[in-house]
Amino acid sequence: MKTIIVGGGKVGYNLFKTLKEQNYEVSLVERDKDTCMKIAEDFDADVIWGDGTNLNVLEDAGIENADIIVAVTGADEENMVICQIAKLTFENMKTIARINNPKNIDMFKKLGIDNTVCSTEVIAHLIEFAFDKDDYRIISTLERGKMIITELFIREHHKWKNQFVKDLILPNECVLVSIIRDETIIYPRGDTKIIENDKVLVMTDKKVLTELVSELYGGGHKKWTLEKRK
Amino acid sequence: MYIVIIGCGRFGTNLSKEMSDEGNDVCIIDRDANKLLSLGSNFNGRKVRGIEFDREVLEEAGIQEADAVISVSADDNINIIVSMIAEKIYNIPQIIARVNDPEKKFIYQKLNIVTIDPIQYETEILKSKLAGSSGEEKEGLINYLQKEMFL
Repeated sequence: MKTIIVGGGKVGYNLFKTLKEQNYEVSLVERDKDTCMKIAEDFDADVIWGDGTNLNVLEDAGIENADIIVAVTGADEENMVICQIAKLTFENMKTIARINNPKNIDMFKKLGIDNTVCSTEVIAHLIEFAFDKDDYRIISTLERGKMIITELFIREHHKWKNQFVKDLILPNECVLVSIIRDETIIYPRGDTKIIENDKVLVMTDKKVLTELVSELYGGGHKKWTLEKRK
Repeated sequence: MYIVIIGCGRFGTNLSKEMSDEGNDVCIIDRDANKLLSLGSNFNGRKVRGIEFDREVLEEAGIQEADAVISVSADDNINIIVSMIAEKIYNIPQIIARVNDPEKKFIYQKLNIVTIDPIQYETEILKSKLAGSSGEEKEGLINYLQKEMFL
C-alpha cells in the first residue's frame, strides 16, 4: 500500500517518519526547497520538491500507484484542492485532509471531502474529556447522527450498579457494546456484572438515548463531545 | 445584477470599478485591507475584508443573493474552492473563475467551472501580433477566441 503525504511541516514530517518506521511505502511532497532538503537528509526515501496541487508533481511522487493521499499542509484551501485533484483524477483514491480551522469542517464535508482530521478539534475534545465530570458522554455519531455511541458513567447510586447485563431492561434500539473498567476493556456477556466506576458504552439512536438518560440520570448532564452533525 | 468579486488585485480592482460603474451592485472580498483601500473613494460598491472562502465572510458579502460570483484572486486554490462553494452550497446561477497557472486549468475543467485564462489569451494574442506571423497563426487566434467565447 503506497501513501503520498503532501506538506512537510511538523505533522507531515512525523507522519512520514511513523509510516516509514512501519515499513509502508510512502513519499512526501513539500513546496519549500530548504524544508525538502532537510527531510531528505533525515530519510532515505522519496521526497519531492514541488507544489502539491500540481498534478505533474503528484505524478512524480507516484500517485498512479498510490492508494492514499494525505494532505497536511497548513492551508485548508490547499488541502481541499489536493484531495479534489486526487479524487477527480483517480477514482478509487482514498484521501485524508487536515483541517486547520475547525470552521471549515462543515464546508469540506459539503464539498465531498469527508475524511478529515482537525487537530484543533481533537485537542479541544481531549481537554474537554480531561475535565469531564458528567454522567454520560457522546463518543461518536455514525450515519449522520442516526446511530450514537455513548459512554455512561456508573456512579454510586446508578440503577445499573451491581446488575448483571442479562437483567438489564434495554429498549430495542440499544445495545451494550463494551464496558471500560480501570482502562481494561470488557466485552459484556449476560453474566458480566456492572460495578461502580465502570464506563458502559452503548450504541443507540437519538430518541432512545434521551429516554435512557432521563431514566438513568433524571435528565442528566449531557456533554456533546462532537459537534452535532447536520 | 448583484455580483460578488473575490480578490482585489489589479484585475479585481478594475473589474469591480467597471462593473459598478455600469450600474451593477458589486461587493468585493479580499483578506488584505490595504488592497481594498486602494479602490479609492470613487468605488460605489461594498468591500468586505476576510478569508475569501470563509462562509461567514461570504455571507457578509451577501453571497446568498448574488446573481454572479467572479473569483479572480491570484491563488488558484482560492478560486477553485470559492467557485465550488458558490456552486454546491449557494447554487449561484453564474460562476466564473480566473486561471492563474495554465497547468491547473484541468482542475477547473474537471469541476465544470467556467474560466477565463488571461495568460493563455495573452500568449495567443501575442503570437498573432508577432512580426512575421503568418495568416495561419492569425486564424489560429480567431479559432481559439471563438472556442473560448462559447465555453
